[in-house]
Amino acid sequence: MVELELTVNGKACMLKIEPGERLIDVLRQRLGLTGTKEGCGEGECGACTVIMDGRTINSCVVLAIQAHGRDITTIEGVGNRIRPHPVQRAFVEEGAVQCGYCTPGMVLAAKALLDKNPDPSPQEIGAAMSGNLCRCTGYDKILRAVQRAAREVTGT
Amino acid sequence: MTSVIGSRVVREDAWGKVFGQAQYPADLNLPGQIYGVVLRSPHSHARILSMDVRKARELPGVAAVLTAADVPRNSHGVLYRDQPVLVAEHIRMVGDPLLAVGAESLELAREAAGLVEIEYEPLPALFDTEEAMRPGASPLHPEVHGLSNVFYHLPVVKGDLNKGWEIADVVVERDYSTQMVDHAFLQPEAVLAHVDARGNLVIQVSTQYPHYDRGEIAHALGIKVSRVQVKTLSIGGSFGGREDISLQLIAAMLAYKTLRPVKMENSREESFYSHCKRHPMSMHYKTGATRQGKLVALEARIVGDAGAYASWSPNILRKAAIHATGPYEIPHLRVDSYAVFTNNPWTGAMRGFGAAQPVLAYESQMDILAQELGLSPLEIRLRNIFRTGSVTATGQLLSGSVGLEECLQKVAPFLRQEEDKE
Repeated sequence: MVELELTVNGKACMLKIEPGERLIDVLRQRLGLTGTKEGCGEGECGACTVIMDGRTINSCVVLAIQAHGRDITTIEGVGNRIRPHPVQRAFVEEGAVQCGYCTPGMVLAAKALLDKNPDPSPQEIGAAMSGNLCRCTGYDKILRAVQRAAREVTGT
Repeated sequence: MTSVIGSRVVREDAWGKVFGQAQYPADLNLPGQIYGVVLRSPHSHARILSMDVRKARELPGVAAVLTAADVPRNSHGVLYRDQPVLVAEHIRMVGDPLLAVGAESLELAREAAGLVEIEYEPLPALFDTEEAMRPGASPLHPEVHGLSNVFYHLPVVKGDLNKGWEIADVVVERDYSTQMVDHAFLQPEAVLAHVDARGNLVIQVSTQYPHYDRGEIAHALGIKVSRVQVKTLSIGGSFGGREDISLQLIAAMLAYKTLRPVKMENSREESFYSHCKRHPMSMHYKTGATRQGKLVALEARIVGDAGAYASWSPNILRKAAIHATGPYEIPHLRVDSYAVFTNNPWTGAMRGFGAAQPVLAYESQMDILAQELGLSPLEIRLRNIFRTGSVTATGQLLSGSVGLEECLQKVAPFLRQEEDKE
């Protein structure tokens, strides 16, 4: 067992884990944060996206120990029904949610983009979301939702 | 009442999903749960000569190792029960489930599955539908489907085909084929099964058919349907791929046998091996038209590769036959549609359900005919499309609204723009 210290959704966590544990397993199983989803287990689909120190990562291909000392944001740390994040509201209003399995990762990828670049071009949105696969929507509504959220963030 | 039409409606479950609150089966756990894994066949066609599970059963932490001998009624399937829960002897495809292990951890369950010793006798396999259709080809399902691998044939006949060829000025004859496709729904199969305080089975799963699943589980275990509760959680995509029963059947058996909650999750790779695929179809099309660009005759032969098990194949090849003309009036035709067993992965429902594959054939034929007749692709379609009052190949009178002409006319200016660009 090794000791792992990290911040998850603003809370400091200290855990004892096996060295081989993946970040997704620590989040889902040890911390009960099941909003992070596993789709492929090899960093292709983006369902397991979380934000680490401001950058999106695939938590299925990151060892938990690599997150030692880092700051992690999962979907549970973004918005709530009373005060949703603009990306979350836009996803609901644009119909960008279907089966919902890619949604947490999509929301986090969009949030990470807008945090850095509040007024992205369609190409920049496309590039930022390219690591997240959706099998239901055909992407159009997702891209529209990110544009809508950007308008809300910038107040235009 | 009409307020929904023309207005934006928010999905009922959308808010829960954007906060990551929606629960899929892999998100659930119960105290004391064990983890189940399935060992699947690496062979496309083989006989199991022997299976030694002693080492697996003796591994500390293993709660149960189930083989075909543990399944009271070892069959399932949506139309025909031609699929074994666990193969007893005859392996028909790569991915056929051979045994299930339940253990205290996933790693232990996998380790135990690796300790099982199986002796196989590989058999000659059929991968090509034409080969599988030949008289004398070894039948894959003599018990359920008889001595032919062709287990479904639908002929559709309309008008007088000889007359059709007589009046045709141009005839185009081509072969088309489509490939096998996986749904690749984003959420791999997962299930949590347990026996409740009253001794009833509770299965929490993402399924397209909870009522079917109940029946399949009760059938396999030989218990009353009323003793099985199937609860559908959020479904992470399915597109037809969750119509057939999957891990929930095996998890139910492990829970029933051990009285422990059982959790099972497919990896993406296991998911590819375990569920059905879209039918590859081989389509031979011969289409005749007059110089005026009117379709007059069609002869089509559609062969769907069902893979190793029937699943929904008859319904899918029926749909392919019904849609074989596309949205075009053809007075004289014969369509023959077949579903054929091979040792390929089994095929079943997937978006379009057999209507998607013939599009490649009939629309390509239209384009080639247009070329031969010196017509634009749009013009040849306008001369043949279904309109209100059209009668389809199967004799259905389209008495209601048919919006195709209106649609094509709206699209036409954009097509012309594209042509001008070229």
